[in-house]
Amino acid sequence: MASSLRYIDYKDTEFLERYINEQGKMLPRRVTDTPAKKQRAIARAVKRARHLAMLPYVSDSVR
Amino acid sequence: MALNSKMYELTYILTPILTEDQNAEVLSRVTRIIEQRAGGTIVEIDEWGLRRMAYPVAKKRNGYYVNLYFKGPSHVVDLVEQELRINDNVLRYLTLAMDKGMIDHYEQRTRKKLEAAEASTTAEESTDEE
Repeated sequence: MASSLRYIDYKDTEFLERYINEQGKMLPRRVTDTPAKKQRAIARAVKRARHLAMLPYVSDSVR
Repeated sequence: MALNSKMYELTYILTPILTEDQNAEVLSRVTRIIEQRAGGTIVEIDEWGLRRMAYPVAKKRNGYYVNLYFKGPSHVVDLVEQELRINDNVLRYLTLAMDKGMIDHYEQRTRKKLEAAEASTTAEESTDEE
């Protein structure tokens, strides 16, 4: 049985950074091989973190 | 307490140019709204302090982050957000209603923090003995 999905915290930027590339974009599911439900939860958390300026919308290296 | 009381998580960012007193002033306004005007209760206040932001907001590179948890009736959010919206020193805010999963996650984190704190105090005690 697959373990049930735990809440993905927008405050855990260290974890969320594993799912974004150098430009600050989210990695696609085909790269990270993440279940759909979890991917959506991560996307939500990334967007919340971006709003609070904890993650970039566009990374400095691109700007 | 009201029957429809829920737990909420709020994070807000203040402009970095404020004094410590002004930071505390904003926080006390928020807690006063939650406790006195809305009849809620504060569960935890966690001031992260000055942090570098991932991108500039209002031409500021840093922001003073405050993260708090509280319980209250649903209109507590309206009242608090009204204050945060009007206050020009608030750069960003985010309020979330916590569901079961978030509360579990929060409790787990608190437990871990507590254990870490205990471990560090016992470590200090043992170094004191030397």
